[in-house]
Amino acid sequence: MSVAEMPALEVRGLVKHYPGVKALDGVDLVVRQHEVLGLAGENGAGKSTLLKALVGLVTPDAGEIYVRGEAVKLRSVVEAANHGIGMVFQEQSLVPNLTAAENILLGSEGASVRRGLYRWDVMRRLAQEQLDKIGSKIDPLARTDSLSFADRQMVEIAKVLRIEQRSQHPPVIILDEPTSVLESKEIDTLFAQIRRLREFASVVFVSHRLDEVLDVCDRVTVLRSGQSVGEVAAAGAVPRELHRMMIGSTGSDDHYHENAASVVGSEQPRLSVRGLSGKSFRGIDLDVAAGEIVSIVGVHGSGREDVCRALFGAEPATAGEIRMDGRKIDLRSTRAACAAGIGYVPAERKIEGMVGPMSVADNMTLTKQKARCAGPFVAPAKQASLVDRWIERLSIRTPTRDTAIQRLSGGNQQKVVLARWLVGGDIKLLLLDHPTRGLDIGARSEVYRLMRELAASGVATVLLADSLEEAIGMADRILVMNDGRVVTEVACPAGGKPSPLDLVKEMV
Amino acid sequence: MFAALSPQFRSLGNAQNIMDAAAVLAVVTCGITFVLMMGSIDLSSAGVMGASALTVSLLVANNRNDNDLGLLGIAVAVLLGCAFGCLSGLALVLLKVPSFMATLGVSAIGLGVATLMFAGVQPNITDAMLKGWAIDRFLGLSYLTWIAVACILVGWLIQRYTRLGRYAYAIGGAEEVLALSGVKVKPYKVAVFALAGAFYGLGGVMVTSQLGAGLVQAGNGYDFSAITAAVVGGTLLTGGRGGVLHSAVGVLLVMVLTNGLVQVGVSPYWQGGVEGLIVVAAVAAAVIPQRRRNQVVK
Amino acid sequence: MSTPVAVAEPAANPAGPRRAGRLTGFMPLIALVALVLALAIADSDFLTTRSLTAALRTAAPLIVLAAGATLVVLCGGIDLSIAALASLSTVLLALWLPDLGGLATPVVILAATAIGAVQGVAHVLLRIPSFIVTLGGMSILSAVALVVSGAGTVRVVDDTPVKWLELYVGGYVPMSAAVAIIVVAVIAVVLKVTPLQSWVSATGYSESAARLAGTPVDLVKIAAFCVSGACAGLAAVMLVSRQYSGGPTMADNLLLPAVAAIVVGGTAITGGHGSVWRSLAGALVVTLLRVGLPIVGVPSAYEQILYGVIIVVCVALTLDWSKVSIIK
Repeated sequence: MSVAEMPALEVRGLVKHYPGVKALDGVDLVVRQHEVLGLAGENGAGKSTLLKALVGLVTPDAGEIYVRGEAVKLRSVVEAANHGIGMVFQEQSLVPNLTAAENILLGSEGASVRRGLYRWDVMRRLAQEQLDKIGSKIDPLARTDSLSFADRQMVEIAKVLRIEQRSQHPPVIILDEPTSVLESKEIDTLFAQIRRLREFASVVFVSHRLDEVLDVCDRVTVLRSGQSVGEVAAAGAVPRELHRMMIGSTGSDDHYHENAASVVGSEQPRLSVRGLSGKSFRGIDLDVAAGEIVSIVGVHGSGREDVCRALFGAEPATAGEIRMDGRKIDLRSTRAACAAGIGYVPAERKIEGMVGPMSVADNMTLTKQKARCAGPFVAPAKQASLVDRWIERLSIRTPTRDTAIQRLSGGNQQKVVLARWLVGGDIKLLLLDHPTRGLDIGARSEVYRLMRELAASGVATVLLADSLEEAIGMADRILVMNDGRVVTEVACPAGGKPSPLDLVKEMV
Repeated sequence: MFAALSPQFRSLGNAQNIMDAAAVLAVVTCGITFVLMMGSIDLSSAGVMGASALTVSLLVANNRNDNDLGLLGIAVAVLLGCAFGCLSGLALVLLKVPSFMATLGVSAIGLGVATLMFAGVQPNITDAMLKGWAIDRFLGLSYLTWIAVACILVGWLIQRYTRLGRYAYAIGGAEEVLALSGVKVKPYKVAVFALAGAFYGLGGVMVTSQLGAGLVQAGNGYDFSAITAAVVGGTLLTGGRGGVLHSAVGVLLVMVLTNGLVQVGVSPYWQGGVEGLIVVAAVAAAVIPQRRRNQVVK
Repeated sequence: MSTPVAVAEPAANPAGPRRAGRLTGFMPLIALVALVLALAIADSDFLTTRSLTAALRTAAPLIVLAAGATLVVLCGGIDLSIAALASLSTVLLALWLPDLGGLATPVVILAATAIGAVQGVAHVLLRIPSFIVTLGGMSILSAVALVVSGAGTVRVVDDTPVKWLELYVGGYVPMSAAVAIIVVAVIAVVLKVTPLQSWVSATGYSESAARLAGTPVDLVKIAAFCVSGACAGLAAVMLVSRQYSGGPTMADNLLLPAVAAIVVGGTAITGGHGSVWRSLAGALVVTLLRVGLPIVGVPSAYEQILYGVIIVVCVALTLDWSKVSIIK
């Protein structure tokens, strides 16, 4: 193979384990020279882990990365840059209080800094050269936080292009969800920019908007569950085809412990929300009946996580009304929500869900202190029998009830976090934010079974699922959120489940 | 306002007084500004100034020993401050001790070193040049004031035209971005603390010149006054904003305020109280726009 | 604008912190025993009733100060105002004793509690980091003490109302030390038998998780500051009973020893891990160092240097490194 045909970047059999999950399970990827490659996949398909591995933020457990045919080890962002790989981060990585020029040259100042002394005129010229490459009209000496979002993105691209100087080759530029916060006109400018970049670089473009991917890319690689499952030429491909590859065949239904006879239909909803508005969502109406599981689906930035937190008093709501069993409640704090019988399982289990160094017993009784107390005092015997009962009932595998929760496996940790809301016996509504994130199949299945049992006992559940399959498998009803609003509601009864494709259409 | 309340406040003499009294604080504030820009804090100035005051008073002509090193003695005192700053910085980056704890410890070490050198007998300086700094005037202002002006200028040049200054600023803005861009942050943090220490060292020398003697308590109160001045000047304790010129304005404001309060008859003992209120109020005002629910504040 | 934060990989090896925890767990006791042995060898008079009771009497105010501030540290904050508050309290007590007599003691402790509460509320409501609030508080309280005392020592003419602290329990144990140990015990027991222990630990270890579990985080923090204030007030009573006077800077030199006592005891400055018992051991270690240095012939100027080194080293040893990715 001649040098000209050699792929700019090739990935073979990349594997990355996290405790409990395989984020990458043998991914293969080829980026040719001077092409724009699209990367598509659902949340959790392994896109972000793959990108991090390519820029040295994550060290893979197995597999090879080749740059122009040469095997490389990427241990840091700097090493990746030395091999000509750079990334424009989804959340921008610019220092807000420096000038655009400083940001563009950060870490590779070259001639603009001599012996620690700044030469602003040289810096301005070098930065201007970078900006000229992408045809941007930004003043290099403007403070970065005074620029518009789109301009800041241009600065990032100009910054990433500096790696040409290091590698002496056409670079590989990775754009991670670059369009998620841009206006449509700005997106057009960005796409023109990407097409221009192709002249002297290879581009990897990641977006959850498939029409965009097909619009700007030459080829698209689809990831699913940490594996590359397909590759299509963008010309002539249709989004539907990609959707199918992303979602794959739906798993068997009993995985979700399908409840044939959904118990829905009391006159008064347990939770009734009208016109709830906050920073990232507007006018949310939501009813959840006792025993019902309602799932909210939406892409990153749809605002569904914030709705969930607002229902727990952890995020301020600016307007709207929340009723529990017909009674109006004021969720000023998380304590008010707990008192109203609402429970919340956060997505970030290790940071927000549990107190790692504290024991299983303490974590389980943290909220419902009354359940383990006699008067104002903790009753050790009462606590022991209560905790042991729940350890047994949820079959939590822990050496003792006094073991620090951080020593348990992820699934058992999650069961303790769930048990926290159950020990009081007064739970009415559970808000589950990605309750199965990072859990292996077995643990997931146990969490699903638990959710079914709780629903059967009359607990109302709002679920933010990890995947569309999970939402469809578990929910009685699905609300689709897009850009802070509920755009549609899909009934999801046993035996009449919608297909993921129907939902994806509304989400993007 | 004070001008209206007290005729004495308006006098030219008082303006000179304010400038002269502000000199030491300006130098110390100049140093602490760089630390605050990074989002760290420095409580070590009192200890560092005490140690440098004793060092310089024992190295220039004095009544305790036969040393007469003159400018060299001053340089040694400044370098000592620099070394103390280095110590704080190293404790921060190598031992990961939060800066307020590290500098509290270093301040204690500085005071201990100063007490050791003091050894129960106060060293009075006889060095004409150093004594003259506080007394001789040039264009109506004492030499100390001119030194402070020079420090502010140097500080501004460092902040504007050196990588050290710009990175200190950037560390306060977004430290993790610097790391992502391949910048090794740690040496710069140590260097910033060392730079600040050098300023404190010079501050200790200046106090010695004012008092004519080396005292362990030379830096008493300057640590908090400097933070107050920097905060009043618009430097955020969270880092990334403000600068030497801002702080210089802050110093003048604080001095005018305390001087004015004294002139209208408020007990000078209230000075610390006023500073405390200012800092708490200024920090509270600065965090209001960033308040979020469920935010962790330690 | 947000920036990507380098997310720490989930702690895959929970054995690490535990091993370190076990080590630091015994550190204060080992240090205490070693110090007592060393001093007994260096000075044959050390193990006599007279010098031991003298050491205990010196330790009492420090124990109380450290115990109160430990609660704030356990919640993840710090209280730098304790010494200034104690100084102010000595002045208030000396000023009020002639008028209030025996009532002066509880009134001063209440006033100190209220001041602690104000700082706690300012920290929680205004969202100002605790070290800044209490640093400002330190400055304000010192100013108030200077003003109300006229910057001079306030003599206590009739000290009968605080004389009881100078008595000896069973003829040997100084009353002040007994009170100090009772305070530590009461705090420890109250924490242990009520939900407070898990609330305080949860707040200190992981404030966001505690909040999302419905723990009254704000109230717990304010309460910690109240206890810290009350302890500062009690320490002031002990100081006055010993010195027959109050002074605006009387307790100021106790700040560093108190902080040193907390960190020597092994309470982590990052919050959650530690106990008041540890601070008791820490305070005894610090006191022994203080009385021991002159015995082994080291000038007392080294005391300050020692505190500085102790604080830096012990904070580094007890710090929960996994919790903080960027240290400011």
